[in-house]
Amino acid sequence: MLEINHLQKSFQRKMALDDVSLSVGQGEIYGLLGPNGAGKTTLIRIINQIIEADAGIIRFNGQLMAQQQLAQIGYLPEERGLYKNMQVEEQLIFLAQLRGLTKHEAQRNVTHWLTKFGIQDWRTKRVESLSKGMAQKVQFIAALVHDPQLLVLDEPLSGFDPVNVELILTEMKELKASGKTIILSTHNMQSVDEICDRASLIHEAKKLAEDTVWNLREQHNQGEYVVRFKGNMIGFVNALWTDFELLGHEEIGDNRFMAKLKMRGTSQMNDLINALVGKVELELIEKKLPSMQEVFIDIIRGKEEVHA
Amino acid sequence: MRNFWLLTKREWSERVWNRTFLWMLFIGPIICLVMLAFLFKAGDEGKKSINVLIVDPAELMDHRVMAQAEHEVHYFFIDDYVEIEEFRDGSQYQKFDAMVEINEKILINKKAFVFYRTNPSLDVKMQLKFQMERRIEELVVESFTNLSLDHFRRIKQPLIMDFRNVYDPKNESSDLESWVGFVFGALIFLFIGIYGMTILRSTAKEKSNRIVEVLLSAVKPRQLMLGKMTGIALAALFQLLVWSVLIGLGLWIFRQTIFPDMLNPANWQGVQMSADVQSQVIATQEGMSSNPILDLVYARIDYVWMSIHFVLFFMAAYYFYGAFFSMIGAMTGTESDGQQFVMPILLLLGFSILSGYMYIQYPDSTFAGWMSYVPFTAPMVVMIQLAQGVPIESYYLIWIHLFIILLSAVLMLQIAGRLYKNGILQFGHRLRWTQIWRMFKS
Repeated sequence: MLEINHLQKSFQRKMALDDVSLSVGQGEIYGLLGPNGAGKTTLIRIINQIIEADAGIIRFNGQLMAQQQLAQIGYLPEERGLYKNMQVEEQLIFLAQLRGLTKHEAQRNVTHWLTKFGIQDWRTKRVESLSKGMAQKVQFIAALVHDPQLLVLDEPLSGFDPVNVELILTEMKELKASGKTIILSTHNMQSVDEICDRASLIHEAKKLAEDTVWNLREQHNQGEYVVRFKGNMIGFVNALWTDFELLGHEEIGDNRFMAKLKMRGTSQMNDLINALVGKVELELIEKKLPSMQEVFIDIIRGKEEVHA
Repeated sequence: MRNFWLLTKREWSERVWNRTFLWMLFIGPIICLVMLAFLFKAGDEGKKSINVLIVDPAELMDHRVMAQAEHEVHYFFIDDYVEIEEFRDGSQYQKFDAMVEINEKILINKKAFVFYRTNPSLDVKMQLKFQMERRIEELVVESFTNLSLDHFRRIKQPLIMDFRNVYDPKNESSDLESWVGFVFGALIFLFIGIYGMTILRSTAKEKSNRIVEVLLSAVKPRQLMLGKMTGIALAALFQLLVWSVLIGLGLWIFRQTIFPDMLNPANWQGVQMSADVQSQVIATQEGMSSNPILDLVYARIDYVWMSIHFVLFFMAAYYFYGAFFSMIGAMTGTESDGQQFVMPILLLLGFSILSGYMYIQYPDSTFAGWMSYVPFTAPMVVMIQLAQGVPIESYYLIWIHLFIILLSAVLMLQIAGRLYKNGILQFGHRLRWTQIWRMFKS
């Protein structure tokens, strides 16, 4: 759906994007990750035609991105902003109309979303009278009120309490299920783990990695396993021999332990199972993949070490 | 185009459906009408009659002043000395507004003191001086010459040097009409100042509350800028229209009630006036006025002509100056920055108003000629020219002036659009000239 090829952008002497290419497929939730100042917001602004790239092209549904396509994109910027003295409904209708809806269509969609987010009673209130969380919801509705094919959400979860975070995540999953594509820029790695299909990591204006979330975690797998068992800890350690390295353990009560270990050489999970069967009562063996947070830190640190 | 109108409509609604704006919509005309009523009254004040006691112990005046054409000053004579304190406090003198002391040396030193209770208007002072002077002249001629009074006056007649423009030899245009143009021009700049600041504040507000990023993801920066400017311009025109209607209505009510047209025979019912006097008044209607301010407001302004040009020049000048306000609003990081950078623009607006005054004072100077071609000052000069009356053969010049302002506005909007685009998404910085240059280049 969205193809970005060799995008470049600099502000005076500072390079904000350096030859960034990526592609986002239809119905995907795509995570855009990176530390502060990496260039994510610049990329998002270029996608939304807010600023122009110095070089490179963007294609949307196979066509070069232009002003006309903006009606198919919904945008939630990181810095939230609404007209404070406008009424909620009036404001949402205005923003929907700017994205190409007729007044009638805008009215219908606004009513639908306000009802869905449980803020229908606030529709005639001025934005300045809303709580921060409520205003965030209005802002989120503003991004999708015109029923866009692509949603670009910059930190959509910041400022929400856990209940509303869950509400937004559920909504994103529903949008994905209905065929919408979402680009999600966030520092909330748990949400990336939970809902993103693919992700890319941008650091110092360059794209450092891009893959499915599962593959990214696999790629940074340290060969660690978690084992939960019932029995004797000494018997467990003796069973491991030299093919496995015990990284740590913890007694979780009732003669039960949780141990973290790493494979050595060519050992596989089956070797581990064979080694432990009969020595302890196995309850769980799980390959421990790094979280996206760990992947993120791993890549950034790796990059910094290369620089050093 | 659709988005441009949506932005315009939103901006218009925000300005117009605002409590302060709605209050000012009605309070503004009321203030104007009250001020006009005071001015009209002030015009009448000069006609107020006063009683003057002439203290003439030497009986030089012979209880006579020259025959009066007007009756604003009523003279009473006393052939005895009256002290100032006596005049001030004595109950028998309270009906007199002023006392003129005539001493025996007046024919030689030509000096008399006038003691008044309240300072008479300039008009009354002039009448009093003129009438007393004429009487003293009679006495001087009688006492010191063998000439007849007519001969004396002919000899005494001063040389009148009447300066007239070769293009206006009949002196048809007057200063009063020039000042009417000045008021129209000043109104243009006043509204540009007020609504220019509204553009600046509104742009800075959209920046500070960050809605601008959402808007820019749907519309182009130049579209956003022009939509905002047009919305605010329509609010200004709406305010002007309502003010014009209300003030016009108020003036009509004034004319029907408090300040009737006394030169119109229809309004003479109940006024005792001989047929001679009536015909005299009708004969002098063209050149005379019972109240110059009333005459100016009700008879000498071509409101339709002036209003059409006012709207045209206001819109052109608004977009020209508005471009400056808009780019300052977009480039500033903080509101205090905006205040500093807007000062030169406000000074330019002030200078443009001053240029109108300069034009009235020195209409044929080279400087005045240039001012009508400079887009900063042209609206003011053109409004004065229009009020003075533009000959049909040189009317095309008005359109040239308008074209120059429009062209300058388009150029400024191009520059402003560029700076607007580059500045609108920069937050929290302190604006410097070098930065403006960088924004312009990038």
